[in-house]
Amino acid sequence: MHLPSWNVLIQVAVIGILTGGVYALMATGLTLIFGVMRVINIAHGAFLILSAYISYWMFTAYGLDPFLSVIVSVPLLFVIGLIFQRYVLSRVQGDPGLGVLLTFAMALTLEGLMGSLWESTGRSVRTAYTSNVFVIELSDITLRLPWVRVGGLVAAVIALLSIFLILSRTNLGRAIRATIQNRSAAQLMGVNVERVQAMTFGISLGTVAAGGAMFSLIWTFNSGSHEEWISKMLSIIVLGGMGSLPGAFLAAIIMGLAESVAAVVMSSYLSPIVFYLILFITLIFRPQGLLGVKVREE
Amino acid sequence: MDNLRRWWKPTALLILLAYPWIFRAPYYHVLGFNVMLFATMATSWNIMGGYTGYKSLGHSAFYGLGAYFVAIAANQLGWNPLVSAPFLALIVALVAVILGWIMLRTSGSAFVISTIAMLLIFRLTALNLREITKGAPGLSQPLPPWTPEFSRMPFYYYMVVWLIIALFVSWYIRRSRFGLGLVAIRDDEGKAEMVGVNTTLYKILAFGVSAYFVALCGGVWSYFTSHISPVFAFDIIVGVDMILMTMLGGLGTLWGPVLGAFILIPTSDLILFTFGSSTIYLAIIGVLMMVVIIFLPKGILPTIQQWIQDRRAPRAAHQGALSMAEMHGLTDDSPSVEEEIRHD
Repeated sequence: MHLPSWNVLIQVAVIGILTGGVYALMATGLTLIFGVMRVINIAHGAFLILSAYISYWMFTAYGLDPFLSVIVSVPLLFVIGLIFQRYVLSRVQGDPGLGVLLTFAMALTLEGLMGSLWESTGRSVRTAYTSNVFVIELSDITLRLPWVRVGGLVAAVIALLSIFLILSRTNLGRAIRATIQNRSAAQLMGVNVERVQAMTFGISLGTVAAGGAMFSLIWTFNSGSHEEWISKMLSIIVLGGMGSLPGAFLAAIIMGLAESVAAVVMSSYLSPIVFYLILFITLIFRPQGLLGVKVREE
Repeated sequence: MDNLRRWWKPTALLILLAYPWIFRAPYYHVLGFNVMLFATMATSWNIMGGYTGYKSLGHSAFYGLGAYFVAIAANQLGWNPLVSAPFLALIVALVAVILGWIMLRTSGSAFVISTIAMLLIFRLTALNLREITKGAPGLSQPLPPWTPEFSRMPFYYYMVVWLIIALFVSWYIRRSRFGLGLVAIRDDEGKAEMVGVNTTLYKILAFGVSAYFVALCGGVWSYFTSHISPVFAFDIIVGVDMILMTMLGGLGTLWGPVLGAFILIPTSDLILFTFGSSTIYLAIIGVLMMVVIIFLPKGILPTIQQWIQDRRAPRAAHQGALSMAEMHGLTDDSPSVEEEIRHD
C-alpha cells in the first residue's frame, strides 16, 4: 500500500468518475428490472457482453463505429428483452428464487453461445481515436482524459436522460413507476402489468446495449467476462438501493471512484475486491442501500 | 411394490460395489467417481437449498476451500488427503457457520447475491495470496501411492462410503425435530419463528452441515486431479451443477439429488464427447436448466409420485391417505409441516 502524489490521485479520481458514468448506464437496467419485477436479472452481464460483441462484430465486419452501431444493437436487445420476459421469465412469476435461477441459466446459455461463436480470445474495439486524450492544464495539475471515456460519459448521460424523460413524461413511464410502487394497486387502476413488465425488460436491455457499445471501446472482454461484470453491477445497484434509479447513478459514481483509487493505492489485481466487499457489507448492514426503501419480497 | 421397497436399496448398493469390476476401463472409474462426488454434493446442498429453501449459488466456495486446505496440508505437513479431508472439512464448515451467521441476515434474492459475492471474494483471495496458494497457475500435490492399475478405484469406493454417510445425515436430519424446523422455515419463516423455532440457529447449522460435505468433496477432488487452480476450484459451475441435479431429481427430497447426479453426470460426459467443446456444453446446461425450472419445477421424483397418486386416487380413497403415503416410500418426499403434524 502506497500513497501516490496528489497529481496522480486527482487524475485517477477524474477517470474514476468518468468510468462511473458508464457503470451507471450499464447498471440502470438492472435496478429498473428489480424495481418492476422484483427479480434480479443475473443475465444482465451476459447481455452486456452480447451487445459488446455486436459492436465489435459490426466494427470489424463493416467498419461501423460503436457510437453508431447502437442504432442496431439497442432495438435488437429491446426485442430480445420483450420476448424473454413475455415467454420465459413470466412463467415463474411469484417465485423470486426461481426467477434468479432462470436468469442465471440464461446467462450460462448466452456465455456458451458467445464462446462458441467468438472463441475465448479477449476482444475490444480499437478505433483510430482509441488512444487519443484530452489534455487539460489547471495551474500545476495536468489532466489526461481519454476520448473514449469522455465519450462514454456523454453517451451515458444522454441515455440516462432519455430514460428519465420516458419515466417522467410518458404514460408508459407512469405505468412503470406505478408498478414499482405497488403492483396490485397499479393493476387495479387499469395498468396492464404484464405489458409494463415486458416493456421494462425491453427498455432495460436497450440501455445495456448502449452500455455494451461504450464497454467495447473501453474494456477487453470475452464470453466469460460477464461473471465479473454482473458482480460489479450487482454491487452498484445493491449499494444504491435495489430499484432506485438515482441510487444506482450515485452508487455507480462512488464505485467507479473507489475502484479507480483502490487500483493505485493497493493493486489493480485486488481492486475488484472493493466491489464485492462493499456489496457484502451493504447487504448485511444496510440491505436497503443508500437511497432505497426497504422492500418486502412477496 | 412391497418387494421393490424392501430390495431396491441392497440391490443398488451391490451394483455400486460391483460396478468398477464390471466396467474395468479407467474411464468408467472416473465417471463413477464423478457421479458419487456430485451425488454427495447435491445431497449436501439440498439440506440448505431444498429443506430450508435458501438457494445458495456460491457453494463452490466451500468446494474450493476444502480443495485448498487439503492440498496445502498434503504439501506442507505431509497429511494424507483421504485421511485429512473429513477433518479439514470441519474447519470449512466452521467458516461456513461464521459466514452464515453474517449472510443469513439476508433472505431471498439478497441471499443469493451474497453467496455469489462470497464465492468471488474467495476466488480473488486465492488468486492473490501467492505465498500460500501459488496464485493463478495453482498448486500440485503428490500422486496417490497405489499402482496405476487400480487407478481411480480407491477414490470411487471412498466416495461411495461418503455418499452413504451424506444420505444418512440428510435422512436423519429430515426426520428429526431439526429437519421439521428447517421445512417450517422454508414454508413460512415468520410463522416458524412464532411457533418457537430458533430460525437463526437452525439456518446457520443447516448452512454449516451443507458446507461440510461439499468441502470434503473438494478435498477429495483436489487429490484426485492432483493439480488445482483458483479458477477451477472456485468455479461457479460446480455450484450450478449441484442445484441443477437437485432440482432435476426433486428439490427437498432424499433421493432426488442422487437421481439428478446419476442422470446429469453421464449426460454431460455425452455432451462433451459429442460436441467436444466446453462452450457448447455451457449453452446446453443453461437451456436444460431453464427447461427444468419452467416445466419441471418440482423435479422428477415428486412428479412421478404425483402421477402414481393421481392414477390410484379412487382406491386410495378406500385405504386412507396414510397408507398411500407409506406405499410410495420410494420417493421420500418432504411433506409440508401441516401434513407432518397430522401424521404425528
